[in-house]
Formats: sequence, structure tokens, C-alpha cells
Amino acid sequence: MLDNAYFSPPNLNEVCELLAKHTGKAHIIAGGTDLMVKVNRRLMEPEVLININECGLSYIRKEEGNILIGAAVTMSEIIESELILEKLPMLAEAVKKIGSPAVRNVATLGGNLVNASPAADSATALLALGASFKLVSKNGERVVEGEQFFVGPGETVLKADEILKEISVPAQSEDEKWAYYKLGRRKADTLSVVSAAVKVKFDGEIVEDIRLAIGAVAPTPLLAKKTAELLLGKKLDDALIEEGARTAAEETKPQDDVRATAWYRRQACAALVKRLLGQVRG
Amino acid sequence: MYPVELTVNGQKYKVEVELKTNLLEVLRDKLGITSPKVGCNTGDCGACSVLLDGKLVKACLTNALSAQGKEVVTIEGIGRPGQLHPLQKAFHEHYAVQCGFCTPGMILAAKALLDRNPNPSCDEVKEALSGNLCRCTGYVKIIDAVMAAAKEMAGTETV
Ligand code: FES
Ligand code: FES
Repeated sequence: MLDNAYFSPPNLNEVCELLAKHTGKAHIIAGGTDLMVKVNRRLMEPEVLININECGLSYIRKEEGNILIGAAVTMSEIIESELILEKLPMLAEAVKKIGSPAVRNVATLGGNLVNASPAADSATALLALGASFKLVSKNGERVVEGEQFFVGPGETVLKADEILKEISVPAQSEDEKWAYYKLGRRKADTLSVVSAAVKVKFDGEIVEDIRLAIGAVAPTPLLAKKTAELLLGKKLDDALIEEGARTAAEETKPQDDVRATAWYRRQACAALVKRLLGQVRG
Repeated sequence: MYPVELTVNGQKYKVEVELKTNLLEVLRDKLGITSPKVGCNTGDCGACSVLLDGKLVKACLTNALSAQGKEVVTIEGIGRPGQLHPLQKAFHEHYAVQCGFCTPGMILAAKALLDRNPNPSCDEVKEALSGNLCRCTGYVKIIDAVMAAAKEMAGTETV
């Protein structure tokens, strides 16, 4: 038994030192809304806890064309941030649908991502927005693209001594259209059955650039690349929307679980993608 | 075991906890404050809702050590028999309480809303209570009660 196994370091360097020292044993805690569910269910018992609420990761700021969000920023802080509402309205929309006020008050953006649920709603929006994640350890830092971060349910590319420090998201621009929708079994405190996010740039009626992400339909939040390829450079008419919705459903690898069957998820995915593409076309 | 100091309803306490202890266990098992209920213990029901430094949280999801130095308010902290909070009075008058299991959490969730937004719309009330389940009332009376309390509180402030 360690004489001290609870830490609340005042800076990120100390967090990294502790992670290096207690590799494999340490759990990072911020809001605790995912971690404590596992603890309460006796699915895990933390050996070492590192609280990152005091280590300076609670910032939201603009740097060149990007919005930088510290990993310990809470969901409520995201929704209340003028900068996010103005520059990343799609992220604000997705975060509003996460949990409920009591959960959003403490749950953090970094936590939602690192927990790596295939149904993490912030991830769906961030993939569509083209976000990248900065990971740091005692040995330095690296940046990974959002779509490279997730490996499987509950698994990311984070090494045992690394921490997610910052999420960098290109600011949305006026000439891009976006749409987001979460389908759940109840409105609050629920994991998505399917969620989808799309960001499109049109040249007239032609799709000039598009990113489409779908949540809860594969082992990881999914960037629907085949669908994007299909739509790129074409006029987004009804027939193409239908084909896009079908392609998106084919790209998924959904599972049966307590919230929905794989069959239902595929149908819902097609319906959602169709709806969102219709919305962005206007 | 690790020491944690926290203030509950204005009174200071010092307790010993483990890494896995949550705030709900501290309140109920160590301090004997049983108004926050154990509904689900997984963040789904809101029966354990309390205010932590003025913000609504689910005590079952709050690690006890991360509450170090913070201020907790439970339903006992906002009113008492003979001196009920307008929300408590409104819940009583509008029959918004049946078994009462959800009520402390509902009232604290409503208080967290009114503290920020004294004049909420019906939709804003629903959103504010969206993390709190009630198996009895069907919610309509609860929403009525919160709207009535908001009016009442606005009235007492201007008088
Ligand atoms: S007991 Fe905490 S949310 Fe149900
Ligand atoms: S009054 Fe019984 S659960 Fe709400």
C-alpha cells in the first residue's frame, strides 16, 4: 500500500511525473462521471488517483484559425463559452445533448474523449470538425488527428504515461454548413443509439468539401470517409442524398446492445444521414 | 485512508475516506445526512443531487477526495420545518411530492436553475430537471411547482 495515492498537482509537469512514476496504476480523474460509475459498480478500484482539475487545463482560447480547448474544460463551460458558441456552434450543439446539467457541470471534454466510448457525443462532432488532439508525457508531446485517436471501445492511442492535454479545432466558417443530431432513448443522461455530425462546404450546389462522422455505430466514433468520397464534387440532389445515406449505413459496424440492435442502428444511421444532408442543403 | 475537509450546510466536517469513496457515501454513511438518496449509484436518476460550490452535481458520481475544501448544500441547507424555502412550499402546495424519494434532488436541481435564471420558461425547467427521474408524479406537478416558486420568489424580491 502506498502512503500517498491521491494527488492534485498544480501543473501539468507534475501530472506527467506522476504518470511516469505510477505507470499502469494511475487513473486520471477530472469530473469523475465515467470513472465513478465503474468504481461504484465495483468494476475497478483505483490504486492511484491524479486529479487534474487544478493543473491548468481549463482554458478555451483562439489561436490563429483554431480554437484550443484544455482537456479539463467542463461541458457546461463549453456551452457557456461565447467563443465556442460563435466559432464552434456544432460542438456546442453536441455538448448540450450530453448527460444532464449535473453531469455537464463536472464532466470534461477530455474525459469524454479518453473514455473512448463509441457513443461519445463530443467525439462525433469533433471528428466532423476535423479536430486534433495534443498528447503529452514526461518525454514530450505529439499531436494526433481525431480519427487516429480512437482504437476500440474504451481504447485510444494514449500510452500509459501520456495525458490528453488539449483539443484543437479549426474554427467553423460562415461559408460552411453544419448539422448535428443525437438519437437516444431518453433526452437526458443517456448514451446515443446513433449520433451524426456533418460539416460541408458548397460551391454553388456542388459539394466542395465534406466531413461526416457517426457515433455509436462502430467500435470507435466513425469518420465516414467512403460516404464523403461519394459526395465530393457532386451536386447534392435527392438521389445523391439517398445514396449517401445507404453508403453511410454500409460503412458502419454496429453492435447489438441494451440500447438498440445492430439492425436498428443501421436503419437509424441511414435515416439520420439523410436528414442531416437534407438540412445542410437547405 | 485520506482526510477530507468539507462544509455541509454551513458546518465544517473532517472525514476519512478511501480513493473509491463517493460524496454520497460521505454524506449518508459518515455524516448521517440521508436526504440525498441512493437511487441508481450510476448517475442516471438524480436522487442524490446536491449543490457543490453552488453547482448541481450528482453526489454518487463525485469522488469524495475531489470535494476537498468545497461547500455542499443538501435540502436541509435550504429550508427547515416552519421556514420552508419557496420551492419546498410550492412542491407541497402543488402536490409535486408523492413518495418523496426524488424530491430533495428535484428541489436542488430547481434551485440551481432559479439561482442562475430567476424567470425560466417551462422548457428551461424541463431541461434543468432532465437528469432527475420521478417514478410517481408524472412530472407535470413538479414543473408547475417550480414555475410557481419562481413567480413567488420574483414577487418577494420586488416587495
Ligand atoms: S443515485 Fe446518483 S444519480 Fe442515481
Ligand atoms: S415522488 Fe416518488 S419518485 Fe418522485
